[in-house]
Amino acid sequence: MIGKEKLIKKLEGILKQSRADETEIVYHGEESGLTRYANSMIHQNVYENNRRVLIRAVLGKRIGVASTNSMLDAYLLATLDNAITIASTQRENRQFAGLPKPTPYKGVAAFDKATASFTPMQRARVVQRVIKEATKHGYNMAGAFSTSSLEIAVLNSNGIRAYHPATAASINMIAMSETSSGYAARLAGKVAHIDATALAKAAVEKCQNSENPQSLEPGEYEVILEPAAVAEMFAWLTFIGFGSKAFQQGTSFLAGRIGRKLTSELVTIYDHALDPRMVSMPFDFEGVPRKKVVYLDKGVAKGVVHDRQSAVKGKTKTTGHALPATASSQGAIGINMIMSPGRTPKAKLIAGVKRGILVTRFHYINGYIDTRNSVLTGMTRDGTFLIENGRITGGIKNLRFTDSFLRAFKSTVAVSRETELLSSWWGGVGCILAPTVHLGSFKFSGKTEF
Amino acid sequence: MKEKLKTAVDWLRRKGVTYADCRYVRRENESIQVTDRTVDSVSRNLDVGVGIRVLVNGFWGFAATSQLTSAELQKTAGLALQIAKASSVIAHAPAVLAEQDIYVDHYCSQCEIDPFALSPDQKTGLLLQVTEILKKAKAVKTAEASMEFYKTHKIFVSTEGAEIEQEITESGAGYRAVAFDGKEAQTRSYPNSHRGGVATLGYEYIESLRLLDHAERVREEAVALLKASPCPDMQTTVIICAPQMALQVHESCGHPIELDRVLGTEISLAGGSFLTLDKLGKFQYGSDIVNITADATNSGGLGTFGYDDEGVKAQRTPIVEQGRFVGYLTSRETAPVIAQRSNGAMRADGFNRLPIIRMTNINLEPGNWRLDELIKDTKQGVFLDLNKSWSIDDKRLNFQFGVEAAWEIKDGKLGQMYKNTVYTDMTPRFWNSCDAICDRSHWEVWGTPNCGKGEPMQTAHVGHGTAPARFRNVRVGVKS
Repeated sequence: MIGKEKLIKKLEGILKQSRADETEIVYHGEESGLTRYANSMIHQNVYENNRRVLIRAVLGKRIGVASTNSMLDAYLLATLDNAITIASTQRENRQFAGLPKPTPYKGVAAFDKATASFTPMQRARVVQRVIKEATKHGYNMAGAFSTSSLEIAVLNSNGIRAYHPATAASINMIAMSETSSGYAARLAGKVAHIDATALAKAAVEKCQNSENPQSLEPGEYEVILEPAAVAEMFAWLTFIGFGSKAFQQGTSFLAGRIGRKLTSELVTIYDHALDPRMVSMPFDFEGVPRKKVVYLDKGVAKGVVHDRQSAVKGKTKTTGHALPATASSQGAIGINMIMSPGRTPKAKLIAGVKRGILVTRFHYINGYIDTRNSVLTGMTRDGTFLIENGRITGGIKNLRFTDSFLRAFKSTVAVSRETELLSSWWGGVGCILAPTVHLGSFKFSGKTEF
Repeated sequence: MKEKLKTAVDWLRRKGVTYADCRYVRRENESIQVTDRTVDSVSRNLDVGVGIRVLVNGFWGFAATSQLTSAELQKTAGLALQIAKASSVIAHAPAVLAEQDIYVDHYCSQCEIDPFALSPDQKTGLLLQVTEILKKAKAVKTAEASMEFYKTHKIFVSTEGAEIEQEITESGAGYRAVAFDGKEAQTRSYPNSHRGGVATLGYEYIESLRLLDHAERVREEAVALLKASPCPDMQTTVIICAPQMALQVHESCGHPIELDRVLGTEISLAGGSFLTLDKLGKFQYGSDIVNITADATNSGGLGTFGYDDEGVKAQRTPIVEQGRFVGYLTSRETAPVIAQRSNGAMRADGFNRLPIIRMTNINLEPGNWRLDELIKDTKQGVFLDLNKSWSIDDKRLNFQFGVEAAWEIKDGKLGQMYKNTVYTDMTPRFWNSCDAICDRSHWEVWGTPNCGKGEPMQTAHVGHGTAPARFRNVRVGVKS
């Protein structure tokens, strides 16, 4: 960690040297450690201290971008020169709205000293406890546990000086027997908020309950999707449905459907970086404050996120969801998605299912099949169960689902009161807060051998 | 820089490590993105740093830094030692490395025209010409074109005496047209979907793609897809184009032959493999015309290099011979499990990542058919072109892939176009149904620049040499 004052001062020194009409500097520095375990032993244990300084130079409406991972003045100045040179040889981007002017943002207390200073030995001790839970039952355990601290700063020649320090801790684990597996995971801003032992017990319990799984024919079933399964679906929806690019080019399932009721009224989904439960940053990579954006409100399509460029095109205002300039062609993307919880205790959701399937998580979802109809496909994994007459009766072999998100979530029966915070794209500042969801109808199109 | 690395390695040797390597990586990237008639972004990015890997009494530690002073390298080496100590908290059988030949060498990849020496304007100019052609149809709502170039300089030094320097240049380009009629959206791409074509070559590769020559066809096919029928749900014969075969090989062969997956160390994220150790040398992976190799020496392949990130020389390894599964991708740590030496598949995504087993060029060797003859020989089926979606289970058995466009095959001729076509199968059944592969004139190494694996996530550049191939009794058109 460099610290706000020192970092801003250093980058201001570079900004002052720019001869471009407008200049932006985005700094992303991260110190992180990750301990990876499998076969109940640590097999990868890594640390990195790295950063990226991204400079966008603007000459009129011509733009050049260059980046470096060095903080040496010589490299930073060479990167600035590079950005200006690129801009000088470019054609005008007529849609470019100029760099933003400063807008006050509400700071988020996201830095935890104990997490930032968590040592490899402390991580190893946590992993040791996790593995112990599995070995008690003769199971193997695999997973990864990471702790990180980061600093993000955005400065521009219009006066923006945004700075955000943050920490994150993330753990995932799979308990494995000869015939089954069980998964648990959690993300938190503070390492102390992760109860690794409780998660390990949950993973082990799933593994126990799904031993010797039976084969079930694919078809249409009622399902209980646990938070990890919901989050894995939503991670795709951010790209194919809720981002500005997909919306504006017409591939999004929301394009042309704003104001229409598309799912059950039990479904409210939005992006909200400032929600205190989230691991996030309070401004985007242009230094614009992040706003709450509602995608679906009680099932009704409301809108998508925007950056400055997509806002110009869409004749609206930026919502503070710009990506770094190197990824600007992707349009604006929301990275802090929340599905509103319901009123039903999670434990009671299963009781409401006559014959159905409980899905712990999905594997390798893909949402490019038919984005207009929000069709997703993927496999179940690490804890798939048959529910009969309101109770879990045993594990089942994994199934492939192929279904439309809109169609499936139209059939929502209930949403749990409890939610879980899980990692998503843009680790460190990206996350999904998801409940457990009971769907009345979900289509499985295939099966596998385990 | 090499002297600083040698000093760090010497320091670690004095500390009594079993093994250590220091890897300097300087990676420069240029990325250009054009949308419609606008240059979205042109960026040049530079990453420089050193990764230090140590093995102490059988336990691994790894630390990386982007600060290149001698003092910082020694600090980072010390940190790697501490991490190795933390790894030893949980006792297990110590890691043992396979013997290998030690090299002092310099490797430079094939590159006739240095893409970084050309003006960005020359490249954006070509891409804007492409999008201009794509936008000539009203229904094409969005036209996107891109280029991507990488230049990587690596120095590898180990306690065993290896000193290897490599310079690798990679170039890629591609484009797509998105047609939208208010209800339906459809996409066509060239030369491949997602990121286009990418190769370990210079700008001469971009020239060889002849980007302008295909833009009109891509535009017209994107528009035509809007009116195409969905592919019917049926069991049928499929002929799969070469770039989609590259994806097929990648997902259903390339990943399951990674020995780290087989041994369970990638299970928490990417998953395991159905190709368990008992299957080596015995399992009938495909029909007897299926021959697959891992070849890091292919000319221009995106998985081509001189040495892997453990200093093992690039090589060609048989994976499937006449349908029988005979080989894995290995590392120095995993190869002894099957009583072999490493076949050189360990690569890291930059200085700050630990090397893990990655594909090289995983190639389906060519057969002896011409594509027109193969279609003529097919009474009924579907021709599948360019990947659109991909999904496979965590042991790489059940897959479902979607394609941008498909055409009915009827009595040896291509018929109507289908949209939103997917096909699904189980890997061994599918490969055992392969009854024809096109010849070398149709064979090309396709680059996959976005292969994700590992935690923290690493993106590898890999290649797949493929030609169109035919498979029987495959389920297509799965309804949602």
